[in-house]
Amino acid sequence: MDISALLKSLEASGLATKIRDSVYLFPLLESMHVLGLALVFGTISIIDLRLLGLASTQRSFQRMASDILKWTWAAFALTALTGSLMFTTNATVYYHNFYFRAKMLVLALTGINMLFFELTAARTVRDWDQAPSAPRAGKAVAALSLAMWIGVICLGRLIGFTTSRAAAAPPAPAGVSFDDFLGTPNNSGGTPTTPAPHK
Amino acid sequence: MVKQFAEWLSTTSPSVFIQNHNAWVIPAIQSIHIIGIAVVLGSVFMVYMRILGWAGMDQTLRQTTTRFAPWVTNGLYLMLATGILLVIGEPVRELVTFSFWLKMFLVAVSAVFAVAFQSSLRKNEQRWEETLVKRRSIQGLAILTFLIWVGIIILGRLIAYDHIWGPWSPATKA
Repeated sequence: MDISALLKSLEASGLATKIRDSVYLFPLLESMHVLGLALVFGTISIIDLRLLGLASTQRSFQRMASDILKWTWAAFALTALTGSLMFTTNATVYYHNFYFRAKMLVLALTGINMLFFELTAARTVRDWDQAPSAPRAGKAVAALSLAMWIGVICLGRLIGFTTSRAAAAPPAPAGVSFDDFLGTPNNSGGTPTTPAPHK
Repeated sequence: MVKQFAEWLSTTSPSVFIQNHNAWVIPAIQSIHIIGIAVVLGSVFMVYMRILGWAGMDQTLRQTTTRFAPWVTNGLYLMLATGILLVIGEPVRELVTFSFWLKMFLVAVSAVFAVAFQSSLRKNEQRWEETLVKRRSIQGLAILTFLIWVGIIILGRLIAYDHIWGPWSPATKA
């Protein structure tokens, strides 16, 4: 099965149809996606700042990691799940969107970055657990992590702007139009200055 | 009246500037706004976790709030600044919505809770550390205030979809 057929079958799935047909589901999924990513970035940055020696410097790194990272993963699961569900509603458009691809690439790089941490600084964690900052490799991983997660957030926001009609893009392929569930929201009052709602 | 104000605001030059560059200005400001909410949510989350006894138990409550309160405060300033820019850039889209005003109400409630908590902790530090933090009602309040933050985030996103409120949304009225 080639990729475009796979994308089409995702779009045609009962779940995707249900989300598209509902007035509430897509906005709620997107809200939960923002909630999840806020917790992911909020908690990861606490760990990164600790590695960099910029905050929580007097605390045990391992203690903080075991306190916090389970919540990061839980929030990541929520974000990935809601993101995947949003993807299914318009899979072809997202798949071909530049910012979506860039975001997936940076997400993969954050995974490699984490793996690099496990193979370097994490191996000697007993030596620096109580030190105010991590060794050089750990600091580099932390700085990269902060930069990449900020990038993921910005790219994610750009996906919304380039896959909806707000970007004045050519109409979406028949059958997968976002306009169907976006409706014609707030121009009934005749407010010409109002742009179409952003995704 | 709000609508008239929003329409007037949209004719002012800062607003026109943002509208003319909205392809990148609006996503950029929104991204910073989201980074701000992430910092705030992550920080208040750690304080609530400490109150519930689920994280940071190697620290006192006071140490925990000393670590995170400045991030909450500064994060909120960042959100206020970027939020104001978003309102200036798209006044009608932001102000003529049910979600925006409910969100602002919840932000005000959260701010009152946060200030009351901080001043109470300052005055009764020992009592907070030894007894209050273990009290069920306080823990319930911590969960409630965290849920208010969750509500604020959800409503922030729903501003873009105000029609889901049906007749409650001022945008659906003529």
